[in-house]
Amino acid sequence: VSAPEGNPLLEGLRLRRRPEPCVLVIFGASGDLTKRKLFPALYSLAVRRLLPERFAVIGVARTEQSTKQWVTAMRKAVEEHGRDEFDAEVWSALADAMTYVATDFADDRGEDAVLDVLRRLDEERGTAGNRLYYLAVPPAAFETIVHELGERRGSEGWTRLIVEKPFGHDRASAHALNEILARWFREDEVFRIDHYLGKETVQNMLALRFANGIFEPIWNRQFIDHVQITVAESIGIEGRGAFYEQAGVIRDVFQNHLLQLVALTAMEPPIDFTADSVRNEKVKVMRSLHTPGPKSVVRGQYGSGFVEGEEVAGYREEPGVAPDSMTETYVAAKLFVDNWRWADTPFYVRAGKRLARRETTIAIQFQRAPHPPFAEVAGDGLRPNVLLIHVQPDEGVSLAVGAKVPGQGMSIRTVHMDFLYGGAFRTGLPEAYERLILDAMLGDATLFTRADEVDEEWALVDSIVAAWQRDRPVFPNYEAGTWGPRSADELIHRDGRSWRRH
Amino acid sequence: VGLVSEVEGQLAELRALEAADGTPVLRTSVLTHVVWAPPKWAGAALETLAGLEERHPSRTILLFPEPGRKAEIDVTVSMRCFALQGVSHEVCSEVIELRLRGKRARVPASIVTPLLIADLPTFCRWRGEPPWGAQELDQLVGVCDRLVVDSSEWRGLPGSYGELSGIFGRVAVSDIAWGRSRAWRGRLAELWPEIRGIRRLAVTGPRADALLLAGWLRSRLKRKSIELEHRSAKELGRVAVDGEAVAAPVGAPPSASDLLSEELDVFGRDPIYEAAVKAA
Repeated sequence: VSAPEGNPLLEGLRLRRRPEPCVLVIFGASGDLTKRKLFPALYSLAVRRLLPERFAVIGVARTEQSTKQWVTAMRKAVEEHGRDEFDAEVWSALADAMTYVATDFADDRGEDAVLDVLRRLDEERGTAGNRLYYLAVPPAAFETIVHELGERRGSEGWTRLIVEKPFGHDRASAHALNEILARWFREDEVFRIDHYLGKETVQNMLALRFANGIFEPIWNRQFIDHVQITVAESIGIEGRGAFYEQAGVIRDVFQNHLLQLVALTAMEPPIDFTADSVRNEKVKVMRSLHTPGPKSVVRGQYGSGFVEGEEVAGYREEPGVAPDSMTETYVAAKLFVDNWRWADTPFYVRAGKRLARRETTIAIQFQRAPHPPFAEVAGDGLRPNVLLIHVQPDEGVSLAVGAKVPGQGMSIRTVHMDFLYGGAFRTGLPEAYERLILDAMLGDATLFTRADEVDEEWALVDSIVAAWQRDRPVFPNYEAGTWGPRSADELIHRDGRSWRRH
Repeated sequence: VGLVSEVEGQLAELRALEAADGTPVLRTSVLTHVVWAPPKWAGAALETLAGLEERHPSRTILLFPEPGRKAEIDVTVSMRCFALQGVSHEVCSEVIELRLRGKRARVPASIVTPLLIADLPTFCRWRGEPPWGAQELDQLVGVCDRLVVDSSEWRGLPGSYGELSGIFGRVAVSDIAWGRSRAWRGRLAELWPEIRGIRRLAVTGPRADALLLAGWLRSRLKRKSIELEHRSAKELGRVAVDGEAVAAPVGAPPSASDLLSEELDVFGRDPIYEAAVKAA
């Protein structure tokens, strides 16, 4: 085996991947995402010494404040939302690398001010012209920032751009955004974030399928009866009325997180774990997805009710929501993946707000045993095997199997064999943003979505939404704290199946 | 009832006790962890274990040899349970402590083998310097997939490295001292290609760490003539190449549990380490 880069001292050295020197520039640095996710993630990376040795962060936002005030606000955010115990020494090193620039994104002078700081940091901290821009901004600011960054990009070092969702609101707008990006950046410089892909359990789906010889041979229409994917939230819209009125659950969750879970479940084995190999396979799934017709999609909106014992308002009573809003907070659909592996195998998917509990799961329901000789004495009926992948919370995998109840006779019960992630690997699961920010610094786009993936996701969403223009359901149609509208049950009951028991 | 049945029976009872409130106990194992700890090392072995079990839930078999006593085996079985964040379940690891007295201390394999968890790797941590050529070492090397030592616990250096290299063909070996020097090796690797012509390496730290660093450079750079200048210290604190100090790695050095934990993630032989040992 030849030594890496011709250096014999690097061979066999199990050093952690550490990115090259760079500056991270966060647009939207005073926003909620930066406080709740980005800085806690940066801090956790600093604790584990995974940030580059020569590193700096520039925060850019409209809010007028000094660097000192911004640093104080971010420290508070880390103390409040971080997963690690606060260590003043680690924070101090990170805080030394932080600079805040208050500016309007559309203001040329502001952009020039950012550029001045970048040049200064390159000199002072040796960041070598490497830039990672994080666009944690509303969609309206997107085009201006991309344009300004493109115009000012230097010739030294690398430039990468992390783009937050929502990426467009339909296929045409996503296409337009991709064109704006393509004008200034190569596809391998663009990192469209879907934080679900940064979750350990989502990546474990790939490990489960492709690192275990026992699953892949039965991972097809011959052995699987159907697949159920649930992305349920018990919270409401958390003050995001204006955004949610435009998006609804179909653009907020279905178009991205949910379809990504479908793709990872249905994709063919990639030839390797490089960004393009994995994404090529996911795109093939997206292209073969269809829903058999308007009756196979159900939408809902929550009314008032009780969630975990607390009385909560209905969607239309939420601040920023029209009293006659027709925005959906729940969607359920039957999808088909038109290929040899999955033909005629339904994927029942559902996502919603204010449901009975927070839960993201992928349930693979296998065909029933063809001829169980002891069916007559089965305790609760001989239920089919279900492989359940818990994405959140309680990350792990469980397999429902039939087992004999000890004693006389031949009574069969379904028991769950659980593998809890936290039980086997108690290293503390990293937050999705830690992994994704680090990957972007390293230039690894495997866990980010590519332009053609986004395009295919929107194609499906557009076809669903187009049908919605023709009818006007009676909203609200489900009570907060329940598992969604009755029509969602009817959708699956029509096929002689039912949603998983909760 | 044999010893193994007794141990299994006690573990089953403990699981039943843990599950008394109706919540099933999850027993998770990723490996069997065998620890050989002579009396001098017993305290340190238990201490390291405390930081380890949460990261590598496993069946741990602690072997305390007491050869000078009447031949018998004293066994203590316990469960160490950890709450999982946000989940009602607890995860439990099994700890089996065996005091091997008299002749029993010479034949650990017959006791350990039936207690290993099938289909999972077995790691043996040998505290202190192994008794080269002794039956108990020979037996445990035979049942382990990986032998984990810390050569900084040895007195016979560098001669003991010759003894150690004699078992490389039989079992994969990890050395905590080698793991401890990783960050410094990273620093030295950054000096490529200038470091190609190195004549003298100066190290302040444990003797084992210094010997391994020198052996590593000699073997990787194919320069047997590299001289080592060693100054004893508890921690690896300074490294210099031909009189020029190497920038220290960033951050605090990893704890004993962290180091052992990292070794438990490694499978298979490490040819770079083996070459470093032979050249130390």
